[in-house]
Amino acid sequence: MILLELALYFGLLSCIAFGGLPSVVPEMQRFVVDVKGWASAEDFIRLFAIAQAAPGPNILFASLVGWKVAGLAGALVALASICAPAAVISWWVSTLWDKYRQAPWRIALQRAIAPLVVGLILSGGYVLATPSPVPDWRLWVIAGATATTMLATKVNPLWLLAGGGVAGVLLLS
Amino acid sequence: MPPRSLGELFLGFLAIGTRSFGGVLPWAYRVMVEERGWLTPEDFTETIGLCQFLPGPNIGNASVVLGKRWFGIRGSIVAALGLYTLPLLWVLTFAMLYSKYAAHSTVRAMVTGVGAAGAGLFIATAIKLARPLAKRPATLVFIAGTFLAVGVGRVSLLFVMPVSLLLAYGAARRALL
Repeated sequence: MILLELALYFGLLSCIAFGGLPSVVPEMQRFVVDVKGWASAEDFIRLFAIAQAAPGPNILFASLVGWKVAGLAGALVALASICAPAAVISWWVSTLWDKYRQAPWRIALQRAIAPLVVGLILSGGYVLATPSPVPDWRLWVIAGATATTMLATKVNPLWLLAGGGVAGVLLLS
Repeated sequence: MPPRSLGELFLGFLAIGTRSFGGVLPWAYRVMVEERGWLTPEDFTETIGLCQFLPGPNIGNASVVLGKRWFGIRGSIVAALGLYTLPLLWVLTFAMLYSKYAAHSTVRAMVTGVGAAGAGLFIATAIKLARPLAKRPATLVFIAGTFLAVGVGRVSLLFVMPVSLLLAYGAARRALL
């Protein structure tokens, strides 16, 4: 039962998605592409592209993965299950926040999470730009140029995505 | 001044979700702090700080936390629905449009290029976030370790997260992070 499997797995990811969607992108790819074979790595990067280009919270990428796997029902189940467990945790923790905000264990936990989130976001970028076992230098060039431009300028990321589209037509077709 | 009704709460989050091309956070700030005055800048920063500490989508969690603060559980549900409804329609419409033209190799190349650029945005974000952390050498060890395990080694996050969190917490308690 694909929907149930999707719901359980995304629900589990929701509970460990520190840093939001970017942190769990590599794990989603591993599960959906490598383990289950529900989509190809090329499909995965294109769904990611669509989610990046559309307005709204980037967690909606999860709904596109669900859509690819099981249509409209898959989209709804995937979005609900990646959001709901974290929402319940937030609902519950928000009242405790004032009490523990300055607690040493909480501050240590925040410090511990930070480098892990950085490593996971980096992994997400790497995994997306490397859909096949043999790296495609053209994807790395587009990703590298985009990253460099974003770090060096204040240009709106939407222009960088558009630039990636143009580069894709020139280099990949 | 907090929203006066569930309807106003819904419309506010609908506005955030609808307009947030290229990142939700700036729009959340504009709508809730500048346009509607639901939150002071300090409240906003505080709420986002809490939500960045929690797992899951920041703004999604913020909708739940703020909805709860103002209207209890009904507020949480209404705010989250307001936030997600239109973006979900948008993204599914984009996806259906894409699948209609996916047979064209030029369209596929363009969309893959956008995806590679999106990967580049992730890499740049990681570098930006790493800069203030990099003063402590142990931080770089954890960044590299996570990247090698999850990105290159393809080890499951369900294993890597608990193990690395435990190790990093130990390091943080010894003031290494």
